[in-house]
Amino acid sequence: MTTVETAPPRPAAGPIPRSRQKMGRYFAYGFLILSIIPILVGYAWLIIATVSARTQGLLPKNAEGGIGGFTLSNWDFVFESAIWNAMLNSLLIAVFMVIGVGLASTSGGYALSRMKFAGRKTFLTGTLVLHAFKAEMLLIAIFFVLRFLGDIPIIGGFIGFNTVGGVALVMVALELPLGIWLMKGFFDNLSWDMERAALIDGASRFRVWWQIMVPQVRPGIAALSLFTFIVGWNAYLVPFTFTIGTKVANMPVFLNQLISDTAPVNWNLVAAVGLFQMIPLIIFFIFTQELLLNIYAGGSKGT
Amino acid sequence: MRVELDNLTKSWDEVIGADSITLDIADGELVAFLGPSGCGKTTTLLMVAGIYKPTAGTISFDGQVVNEVAPKDRGIGMVFQSYALYPHMTVFGNISYPLRLQKLNKGVIKERVQTVADMMGIGDLLERKIAQLSGGQQQRVALGRALVKEPQLLLFDEPLSNLDARLRLTMRGEIKRLQEDLGITSIYVTHDQVEAMTMADRIAVMSKGVLQAYDVPEALYDRPKTLFVAAFVGNPPMNFFDVEVMRVNGDLRAKSDAIDLVIPHDRGEKAAAVDGKVIMGVRPEDVDVVDDASPAAEGLTLAGEAVVVEPLGREDLVGISINGVDLRVLVDKTRGVRVGDTITLVFNTSRAQFFDPETEASLLWA
Amino acid sequence: MTQQIEEEADALARAAVGAPGPQRRPLGRRVRSTASAYGFMAPAVALVLVFFVASGLLLLILSFTDLSSANFSRAWNFIGLDNYERLFTDPFFPKIARNTVFYVVTTLIVFNLGLALVLALVTTSIPRRAGFFFRLVWLLPRLTPSVVYILMWQRIGAGDPFGIYNQIVPEFLGASGGNLIFGGSPWAFVILTNGFNGASFGMIIFTSALESIPKDLLTAAKVDGAGTWRIIRDIKIPMIKWPLLFIATYQTLSLLTSFEYILLLTEGGPGLFTTEVWALTSYKRAFATYFGNSQWGYGATWAIVLVTIALLLAVAYVKLFRFNELIEEPRIENL
Repeated sequence: MTTVETAPPRPAAGPIPRSRQKMGRYFAYGFLILSIIPILVGYAWLIIATVSARTQGLLPKNAEGGIGGFTLSNWDFVFESAIWNAMLNSLLIAVFMVIGVGLASTSGGYALSRMKFAGRKTFLTGTLVLHAFKAEMLLIAIFFVLRFLGDIPIIGGFIGFNTVGGVALVMVALELPLGIWLMKGFFDNLSWDMERAALIDGASRFRVWWQIMVPQVRPGIAALSLFTFIVGWNAYLVPFTFTIGTKVANMPVFLNQLISDTAPVNWNLVAAVGLFQMIPLIIFFIFTQELLLNIYAGGSKGT
Repeated sequence: MRVELDNLTKSWDEVIGADSITLDIADGELVAFLGPSGCGKTTTLLMVAGIYKPTAGTISFDGQVVNEVAPKDRGIGMVFQSYALYPHMTVFGNISYPLRLQKLNKGVIKERVQTVADMMGIGDLLERKIAQLSGGQQQRVALGRALVKEPQLLLFDEPLSNLDARLRLTMRGEIKRLQEDLGITSIYVTHDQVEAMTMADRIAVMSKGVLQAYDVPEALYDRPKTLFVAAFVGNPPMNFFDVEVMRVNGDLRAKSDAIDLVIPHDRGEKAAAVDGKVIMGVRPEDVDVVDDASPAAEGLTLAGEAVVVEPLGREDLVGISINGVDLRVLVDKTRGVRVGDTITLVFNTSRAQFFDPETEASLLWA
Repeated sequence: MTQQIEEEADALARAAVGAPGPQRRPLGRRVRSTASAYGFMAPAVALVLVFFVASGLLLLILSFTDLSSANFSRAWNFIGLDNYERLFTDPFFPKIARNTVFYVVTTLIVFNLGLALVLALVTTSIPRRAGFFFRLVWLLPRLTPSVVYILMWQRIGAGDPFGIYNQIVPEFLGASGGNLIFGGSPWAFVILTNGFNGASFGMIIFTSALESIPKDLLTAAKVDGAGTWRIIRDIKIPMIKWPLLFIATYQTLSLLTSFEYILLLTEGGPGLFTTEVWALTSYKRAFATYFGNSQWGYGATWAIVLVTIALLLAVAYVKLFRFNELIEEPRIENL
């Protein structure tokens, strides 16, 4: 237990004076409100811009330079097939990731948390390092790995360079250390007695995992799936690096092409496309707040 | 089933969980592993269950070494302190799980689960979720799950310590009755010596990974082989005094600055042979409180002052100081002892115990 | 009380980090019991082997070649340590190295650790719902696609008449009217964009650690007469020591090797290498095309040197903070 240096007790029982407590609270709120202004301003612009012809700062402007100019024409892109193609690619990457990361981390996290085997400690420490590593440094080599995978007959066409499958596979690998780390944390919290009971009842280790342990970590799997979906949906760097052209572009790549390919940039159109691709995220944000904020709860207890 | 542990040892690097435990359990016997937290009783139990693997020594079931047999193939049932029920399954799901893993016929499973559940008095709760049950009901489900596979050996890991006092009493009787009826060899781990004394045919007392004593309850109580056993078994615990046993005019006397008591020869000879101090033990019920010292009790009487009075209901547990030496005795409530009273005590020294202060071994039974 | 049994086994198991006993079991059994663990690990191990281990080795090999988009159809041409010599004699090498250190240290201390801790402390000291709300808002950058997120900051920093900062902030606070990212203080924006995202990770982890401090402990300290500041210093910070060390390690490595926001915001500009960090240089050499072609070999060299530095740092952190001590031994032994 932590030692507590004890100051001599105050003579009068009164803790902190009311007024000081109140001031502390005002200060706390003041600080927090100030801190979130840039975030709120950014979103305010995004929303305002999508429904106006042009903006100056946060103000929507009409053709005469006055305030106004409300329009929905920025949203015309939803009638073009390109955006839906990009959306499909985003969705494929995200779903593939949820399944891949989910399976590999739920089984790997279990073994690392509950089983004894040679290399366990190395892998655990390695996971911690790789998890922080972002692995973006390895993209050059992965570029060649993907080209190699692309040469494999039949499946190469799905997981090679410049395919959605290839991008998804790389993304799964890059997110895996985080997934394993999180799932290990969730498994760490489960009762050993329950697992022992199942072994004594006659279950194999695989059965114990599938029938007894996995049902207990469903909240963890939900949190991981949500998080992985968001990462997959938002993926930019990997798809940008490993795809060419619009056919395999996902939404963030599509959006970036929109910014770099048109001059002058129609910022209001860009904002609308940006907001459009955030729709699923906004839905998550509204309905899964607890899960989002507790996403690391399982893994936060150290390695 | 007969269970034999031979020099069973479990260690992790320098930490020793169980140190050369050797004991045998007869078919149908209920043996308690008794000791304080961290004494190695659970470690030993988990080795018997096949969850931990022994560092050295062997475990045999009916003469067959089972060290390398997986838990599921040992024919055991186990009940845990935390119940360890599967929260995502119903009561039926929990109890039937071992049978489902054996891929038994559905009808057979249903029948056997119902039989066990009825035996446990939870036959009408089979469709309930675990979270909807009380602690006592959960414990019955856990017991049912352990029994349904008709195990050769039942293992209990402090099964009652999460229950409240009244329920614990009921369950204690029920488990004992079930075990006797079914005749299943059982190991019962507990830190509660009352539980061990009332339920077990034999008790293995453990401390710091070492088996201190293994005997029937009465023997542990009346003939403790070590100081630890004497101190741990019995409630309220035995009183201990540092004394020197010496010969005075043909009598044996236990003496210290505060104490001078006559000791029967059959009790004190070995202690008298020890040069210097020994530890004398007297159980609280072996000290009587009297109004006046009678001549018959010559050499067995001491006077002291009551310093603490704890009412236990039927009796008072009174802490007494005899010239600075403390002891606790049970006093009939009707005496109405109050703090500060001077009390006359008669010691039944024919039941006194003596221990070597160096080895902590008994000077009577070891 | 409920945990008594666990504690017993726990205390033993925790003290027992490391080697199994001396006892030897038949080889077949040992292989079989380990095999089931490897079965669970197989998908993860396969992916790690291909995309981390093999890729890392390939990266090392590439760094000894002059492979580029101009000659990649031919056999790989090994040029020894030429790429390394070129790297360390690059006239901008010192600048890029300095940029990297500045970027990592500043963002880490001010935002990813400092602000994260302050946010966790402040949001856990106000009513629950309010704290929850502020943390939720702080989570937004993390949920926002990087392209959209950077787009917002670009509009905030844009020049008149489009820039939001220029519009709503009075002139004496730095609203010059020009573009603040490219004309004013590019570093401020690089650090802000990364910091606003990075702080939320630490914030979430610290919050859950702070919320799990036993209330009795805080009450006891208050009864002993400790004020807010002393409670933070003497109780809260020591109690969240592990999360703090973890975040410090994690974020150092993460900042060192990530560059996505910088790529989107400034591409290392304005001008020559003003906000260029090491990881970005590596990426640009290999994949960006304004030097005529993609120099994979040379880019790999930048990457390998940085990977080496990051791994050394990681090893140092792991040893220094003794993360290994947190690894618990499993309490079921495979038979």
